[in-house]
Amino acid sequence: MDRALYIAMTGAKNNMMAQTSHSNNLANASTTGFRADWAQARAMPVYGEHYPTRAYSMTERPATDFNDGPLNETGNALDVAVAGDGFLSVLDAQGNEAYTRRGDLAVTPLGELINGAGQPVMGNGGPIVLPPYEKLDIGDDGTISIRPAGAGPNEMLVIDALKIVNPDLQNFEKGTDGLFRPREGDEVLEADPALRVVSGFVEGSNVNAVAELTNILAINRQYEMQIKMMKAADDVSQAAEQLLRLN
Amino acid sequence: MHKALWVAKTGLEAQDIALANISNNMANASTTGYKKERAVFQDLIYQVQRQPGAQSTQNTQLPSGLQLGTGVRTVGTQKMFTQGDLNMTEQPLDMAINGRGFFQVLMPDGNISYTRDGTFHLNANGEIVTASGYLLEPNIQVPEQTKTITVGTDGIVTAVTANDNIPFEIGQIDVVDFVNPAGLQAIGSNLYLETAASGQPQVGVPSLDGFGAIIQGALETSNVTIVEEMVDMISTQRAYEMNSKVVSTADQMLGFINQNL
Repeated sequence: MDRALYIAMTGAKNNMMAQTSHSNNLANASTTGFRADWAQARAMPVYGEHYPTRAYSMTERPATDFNDGPLNETGNALDVAVAGDGFLSVLDAQGNEAYTRRGDLAVTPLGELINGAGQPVMGNGGPIVLPPYEKLDIGDDGTISIRPAGAGPNEMLVIDALKIVNPDLQNFEKGTDGLFRPREGDEVLEADPALRVVSGFVEGSNVNAVAELTNILAINRQYEMQIKMMKAADDVSQAAEQLLRLN
Repeated sequence: MHKALWVAKTGLEAQDIALANISNNMANASTTGYKKERAVFQDLIYQVQRQPGAQSTQNTQLPSGLQLGTGVRTVGTQKMFTQGDLNMTEQPLDMAINGRGFFQVLMPDGNISYTRDGTFHLNANGEIVTASGYLLEPNIQVPEQTKTITVGTDGIVTAVTANDNIPFEIGQIDVVDFVNPAGLQAIGSNLYLETAASGQPQVGVPSLDGFGAIIQGALETSNVTIVEEMVDMISTQRAYEMNSKVVSTADQMLGFINQNL
């Protein structure tokens, strides 16, 4: 069979994968703290003892978009958004430290601080546990102070501080659970005291819906062209078959 | 088939739930003691199609891989227990809690439920009941021929009757608090039930030990902000439209290949 057919087929197949990646971004347009994934296609020439006439396409996710998302005011003292750079530190399902921008926090009956996805939030010395409180305040640098139940307004207690890290974004990638971890080197990052949070806000998704939709439409057309190429390859071999028919 | 189709479907479902939630909040914009809810979304797991760092040949490595997300999931809805505004009604049996805490209500099945709605009435026996007719717990019997009822900020209820001009105590309204009020289960009629996520109820005296004070003659309004809900509704609608556009695009792609090959 003609090679053009297979090359067009990989093109169409990889277009569908890119389409999936963009539609995942769009589906998460309302997910708190979500970071959009990039998708790019790359030419993969076939190396060997022949002329490099065949270059297959390959879709890949080179990185994640680390631009800031919109800040939505909620007025809830337990909601925090990281202002500018930085990531909040949480524990993943295996109990290891991982990083997220998600700051819609809540308190369990045992006083543990968790985020909207149910992951325990890390403080300076491990997961944060809060005593019963009447009023809670999260400061600009992530310091959590509370007024214990029954205490007067002059008895604010500092409990812990949110662990906010400033990772090297070149070496930072999204895992299969949607949390971020360093790609290489030390798995646990140090807290950076220079980073800031704002309380009473949650950070929305940084998906640019217009860009994603435009990409989806562009990929759609590209895909149609690949199908046209497959059709052309089919026509060519049909013509050859007719020409060479014996009777 | 086409993965994008299923991914976009999860997006449509999520926006659908978000809109249902927004419309419920807006419908309850004037419900006494209503606490707004927000839908909590989470990205679904990612599938590794090609592992980053895998060998492309014996000597070369792929610089980046391909991980495809599978869409969005609604984790749940979360009640936002921020304080509503106080609406002064000057009715002696209207009460609002200023701060943390809930009134206890005895359900007809004998269970206790909790509410922030302090629209109380008297029933035929002179007992204090909610607007639905359920007894306040602990119940307070108002004597006959009562002229005035006064509720203190600490929940002590005193009455003055026609026969006797000296006020006397007829009961005490307790409030309860939870470690995680957002974990309470809303059962409608402005009532909540205790769950494993909310923690055990802690009974206390209003305005003491961190509990909110009772304000007589006031009602707590809903904490829904209409403007906020409207803006949420606009973004939800547009996100829904865009996700449905993905579904139709994915459909067109599959249709195109069927027609042309």
